[in-house]
Amino acid sequence: MLFRKLIRTAGRYRAQFISMIIMTALGIGMFLGFNMEWVSLETNMQQFFSDTGFADYRILSEDGFSEEDLEKIQAIEGVEKAARYLSVNADLAGTSKSLAITITEDAEVSGFVVMEGEAYDETSTDGIWLFDKFAEENGITVGEELELTYETLSVKGTVKGLIESSEYMICLQDETQMMPAFDAYGYVYVSPAMLKKILPVKIKGIMDRLFHQINVRSGLEKKVFQEAVDQALGKTMVVIGKEDTVSWSEAMGEAQEGKTMGAILPVLFLLISVLTMVTTMHRIATNEKTQIGTLKALGFKNKRILRHYCSYSLLIGITGALLGIGLGYFVAWFILNPNGMMATYIVMPRWTLYIPWWCWLTVALVVLLMLVIGRISIAEMMKGTAADALRPYVPRVSRPMLIEKTKLWERLKFGTKWNLRDIMRHKSRSIVTLIGILGCMILMVAAIGMYETANAFIETTYVQNAGYSSRIFPASSGRETADAGKANQTALELAEEYQGDYSVSMSVQVEEETYLMDIYHIENDLIRFMDQNNRGMELPDDGAFVCLRIREELGLKEGDEITVSLFGTDAKYRIRIAGFNRSMTESISLSDTYASTLLYEGEPLTESDGYRIGAVYTAVSKSQVNQDERISSVQSRDDIVNAMDSFMDILNLAVVILVIAAVVLGIVVLYNLGVMSYTERYREMATLKVVGFKNRQIRTLLISQNLWITVTGIIVGIFAGIGVLVYLMKALAPEYEMKVVIGPLTIIISVAVTFAVSLLVGLMVSRKSRKIDMVEALKTPE
Amino acid sequence: MAIVEFENVSRVYTSGDHEQKALDQVNLSLEEGRFIVVLGPSGAGKSTLLNLLGGLDSPTEGRIVVDGRDISELSEDELADYRSYAVGFVFQSYNLIPTLTVYENVALVREIAPEALDPKEMLTKVGLEDHMKQFPSQLSGGEQQRVSIARALTKNPRILLCDEPTGALDSQTGVLVLKLLLEMARNYGKTIIIVTHNQNIARMADAVIHVKNGKIESVEEQDHPLSADEIDW
Repeated sequence: MLFRKLIRTAGRYRAQFISMIIMTALGIGMFLGFNMEWVSLETNMQQFFSDTGFADYRILSEDGFSEEDLEKIQAIEGVEKAARYLSVNADLAGTSKSLAITITEDAEVSGFVVMEGEAYDETSTDGIWLFDKFAEENGITVGEELELTYETLSVKGTVKGLIESSEYMICLQDETQMMPAFDAYGYVYVSPAMLKKILPVKIKGIMDRLFHQINVRSGLEKKVFQEAVDQALGKTMVVIGKEDTVSWSEAMGEAQEGKTMGAILPVLFLLISVLTMVTTMHRIATNEKTQIGTLKALGFKNKRILRHYCSYSLLIGITGALLGIGLGYFVAWFILNPNGMMATYIVMPRWTLYIPWWCWLTVALVVLLMLVIGRISIAEMMKGTAADALRPYVPRVSRPMLIEKTKLWERLKFGTKWNLRDIMRHKSRSIVTLIGILGCMILMVAAIGMYETANAFIETTYVQNAGYSSRIFPASSGRETADAGKANQTALELAEEYQGDYSVSMSVQVEEETYLMDIYHIENDLIRFMDQNNRGMELPDDGAFVCLRIREELGLKEGDEITVSLFGTDAKYRIRIAGFNRSMTESISLSDTYASTLLYEGEPLTESDGYRIGAVYTAVSKSQVNQDERISSVQSRDDIVNAMDSFMDILNLAVVILVIAAVVLGIVVLYNLGVMSYTERYREMATLKVVGFKNRQIRTLLISQNLWITVTGIIVGIFAGIGVLVYLMKALAPEYEMKVVIGPLTIIISVAVTFAVSLLVGLMVSRKSRKIDMVEALKTPE
Repeated sequence: MAIVEFENVSRVYTSGDHEQKALDQVNLSLEEGRFIVVLGPSGAGKSTLLNLLGGLDSPTEGRIVVDGRDISELSEDELADYRSYAVGFVFQSYNLIPTLTVYENVALVREIAPEALDPKEMLTKVGLEDHMKQFPSQLSGGEQQRVSIARALTKNPRILLCDEPTGALDSQTGVLVLKLLLEMARNYGKTIIIVTHNQNIARMADAVIHVKNGKIESVEEQDHPLSADEIDW
């Protein structure tokens, strides 16, 4: 019988039950979804890293590595595997697309998994293993012939297999790109045997010079490994740990973002659902008080009654949890599937979803919490004797408000007084309503603000503050040719020919941290810098700019001096900080004029220190650049901006999801509390009707209280939303150093939607006032 | 033979510093199978007396012995047990569970009463055999009160406690309910105790207990009680 009572009572309080179930499902769903997302991402990525032998360390040398060098590294105790490795950007013949030619001498170090076609054959002299996404975007299939050109070399072969490699898990051409462009850039693996075949045999040691990297799998600590390498090779080497690679750091960054998202949004939803549960269960319990008394009077024991009423909250908790688990799976799947949002950024073969044990624990705890809330609410109503329980619930008499003692109170209209007293009398209900509005507002401001911020970032970074149209990467500008002086000469020729500005990029160490030191020659205003307010500024000749992240990490202020040491040399330089700029790379930027004043043992920076022009920036478009042997590759700014489209598509989707979540949250919380408030004031409203109040006046009373709380929630919500957005941008995308931009449109839309939700719910609830049955309402005993 | 005995029973309610003596040193002895009316003005202590007897409340001092068992010292769970078989309650506001049907409201007590009777039989006895599938809200006040009586009787208690059972009913329905209660005393040997401030109902009783200011003012025996049809509502 009591089970039937449970089911029918759930039907009777369906608005409350449904809203609590929705809130619980949303809270658990969001929590599970975001946490499943990062755990699954991390697990799948780790599996991918392990399957493909992702290198723990990369040893770099501009002069290349010989087989003897490799043997020395392999001999280091603690080195599991090591292989010479090569990766250079080449052009796909007859197109403007680029592919990184990749060679590893041991496929178990920095290798790949074959998704389709033949397994890797290290003896093949014509086999090409192509990145599957690039193949898909460009309609290339297994068996097709491909020709790649790199400087004067031509690599011709047959596509033997379509592959994915963790070294290119996030396949970006360079650090200025935010999103991969699978149709324009990819990678291929060819065997060392093929390389040997195409290289001109007359140049002695050319193979050694090409292998500018040794990739190593080792569990040694960075410091220990660095010392062992330096000792083995007899000089200080540049060693990059996996944490400093794009694939690893960005992938882990994504997982970290998931963690952050998993800690903010779900907490907001769970908090609101718990508060809604507290308020609603309390109201249900007070409404059921005389029934509790009746059951007691009939002879039911307290334990049995408690069990019965706890089953209400258990029903809500379990149903909400089940729906939440489903929602969580959907959210995680939506982000993480081979064609989902994440797959536009990260490429890996497995997209399996995992629920970590602590997520199950959290779900169980939420259900338990619901149970406890229900129990406490009911226990309160069961206090005292059966005779006490039989008496209807009488709310505590509230003390007069301060305002009631003032003359202003006398002047207030009846409706205002009534609503003020009602808000104070039902504080918890009013507070939860306020939090509901606040949550709705925070989500709206954060979501739309995120979109506006990203838009402003793209506009300022790639349109306003990027004067160039394309970037030319001069041939031999990398570390392949020993003749750096000649390479710089060629780059200068290109800069003159295309009226370009140019940059030199060097790795430096400051207080154990590794950064880039970029030296710029700017005479055509093609490279620009932004201050922290996104305003343009000129690179000075008496100091350097450091990016905002370095400023924070090192605690710098203008006028400070830092010591930078060049990788691979003993050279140290003192640099004065002239300002701080927003930058996507963690870098120190200085003009070549200032750089020329930096001396070590009386000598300025030279080619032997690694001073090599890496890129020439020009206003000439990519199609107008004559790609001869002096040029390694050309990158168009438009290509980068176009690649942003998919980023903005994802962001758009996220904004839509968050706005929908905000509206659902607002409607569910407000409707539930609105109905509750209506039920509680039913007798009061019936009395007003008896006295002669019109329906319209009663509706106005109901709506006006709703609107007061809404306006308060909106005002606080604007500031809270901005705060949340600032935190989110810092936590989710610190690498872009985005300035949070929230314009009037964001505020207007957020306010309008929140207000509309509140008004809509207010109207829905207040419409009920027409149905008040005065006779019935006043007949029932108090 | 006395089925109920009150020995120096007091009940004091405390609210802050204020103390209110709802019952003050009450002594009372009630015979089994009789139709008894407790009469008195509002606030006299009638309902407190009924609540104490029904195990809904416990006395501040004194002893209440029902059927030879002292119920004044029982724990909460023991009181619940006592309520589940010894007494049946009929309230002025019926106190039915709105989400259960008429039949389910009555059958509910079978979950706790060890010697519960057939709910259908009881509902037939109170004339509601055609309303078993209806919900309380679909019944008139008199019908709801009859469901409440059927529920109380299904537990097969020896004592039926009725707190203003006709208070919310019109005269015609009130008479029907009183007839039913009287029948329970006369034909089934139940002890019926009715609390009311309606003096006319008192004329049906075998004994009338007058309560005033928390004390028993008098106990009036009636040798020739009237039938329900005879009383002037």
